[in-house]
Amino acid sequence: MIIKLTDSKPIYIQIAEWLETEILSENFKTDEKIYSQYQLAEMLNINPATAAKGLNVLVDEKILYKKRGLGMFVSIDAKEIILTKRKNETLKNMVNELVLEAERLHVREDELFQMIKTTIKQREEDV
Amino acid sequence: MNVIECKELSKVYGNTNAIEDLSFTIEENKITGLIGRNGAGKTTLLKILAGYLHKSTGEVNVLTEDPFNSLKVSSNMIFIDDQMTLPESLTLLEILHSAKMFYKNWDMDLALRLFRYFSFHDNQLHGSLSKGMRSTFNAIVGLSARCKLTILDEPTTGMDSSVRKDFYRALLKEYIDHPRTIIISSHLLNEIEDLLEDVLLIKEGNLLLHKSVDELKEMAIGLKGKSNVIKEIIQGKEVFYRNTVGKDTTYVAVENSFPNELLQRAKENGIEISSVPTDDLCVYLTNRTKGGIDDVFNRN
Repeated sequence: MIIKLTDSKPIYIQIAEWLETEILSENFKTDEKIYSQYQLAEMLNINPATAAKGLNVLVDEKILYKKRGLGMFVSIDAKEIILTKRKNETLKNMVNELVLEAERLHVREDELFQMIKTTIKQREEDV
Repeated sequence: MNVIECKELSKVYGNTNAIEDLSFTIEENKITGLIGRNGAGKTTLLKILAGYLHKSTGEVNVLTEDPFNSLKVSSNMIFIDDQMTLPESLTLLEILHSAKMFYKNWDMDLALRLFRYFSFHDNQLHGSLSKGMRSTFNAIVGLSARCKLTILDEPTTGMDSSVRKDFYRALLKEYIDHPRTIIISSHLLNEIEDLLEDVLLIKEGNLLLHKSVDELKEMAIGLKGKSNVIKEIIQGKEVFYRNTVGKDTTYVAVENSFPNELLQRAKENGIEISSVPTDDLCVYLTNRTKGGIDDVFNRN
């Protein structure tokens, strides 16, 4: 399942994040119509009001725009907005956690950098 | 439009208060979960709303009328539980056909499709069904009636887990196609929380909270870490639950009203932060003591 009830995040946030990922991976392109609240509700087995709340988060962030009576569509800047947001929030938080855990384990700065570099290298070789 | 309005509603049996001073409203076309422990007053409340029981004091309006002896309410409302008495002389199929006469929006096609899907036979009798099958049949009646107000009192009693899942999905699909006001009572919130828009939580006949599921999910936060650090952080906050494990590790579920910087600093001090699952929170809120069953054995 895409939506996990056990997840710490409220369902509407999970929906918003899932739609963001769909937009990033170009399953929805600029000016394309996104799922309606009822399609989402039926697809994910959730209350339509919760689905609407998830969509409205994306409208508030200008990732989607509304056309009266027609539905919601992907805005031109959608990808850029999502990328900037994720860099500033998600990635920053993850780096914070990483640094904290390194501190707890007494991992030195250069050691940590080395680990990151190794992971990047490995990914490059895999591709 | 409000489908249900209660104001200081009470019901007294002998000298016990089954429900006490309940005030709330339920808007049209919402799915609301009525959650509470055994004996909290869920069924009493639902039966008053259905017009089956007289209130003692206070006000109750369903579809703008007092439900007791109201034709408007009985023709626009259906009440489903596992104790429905249906005629013993009719077969299940005949019951479905007669239900059509009572409910103007009855969908016979849906009723028959569900009837076949759940492998009922035309000539079975209601009284000979197993507990789970009886609940399933009653639920079919409840969904197919398409009443403006659909009240489901513990509808899944006895159903196995795969039938329960099917039923909840059928309920949701029906609701999407034909929106209506639905109240489901249950003590298993985790099973139905994704279907619900609002939660009404009652404890010993009193209303504890009436919130959207999302608000409930964000209401509390779980903190785990060294007891003295936790103690400092939660000063002045409402604690829903506290549990100390080992020498000095404490877990608390506490009201979620901390500024982000504070949580960030707590994390840096080794406090683990988690969300509190809604059904856990409901258990904490309806517990009579802060430590739950452990308090019984804690004689200090």
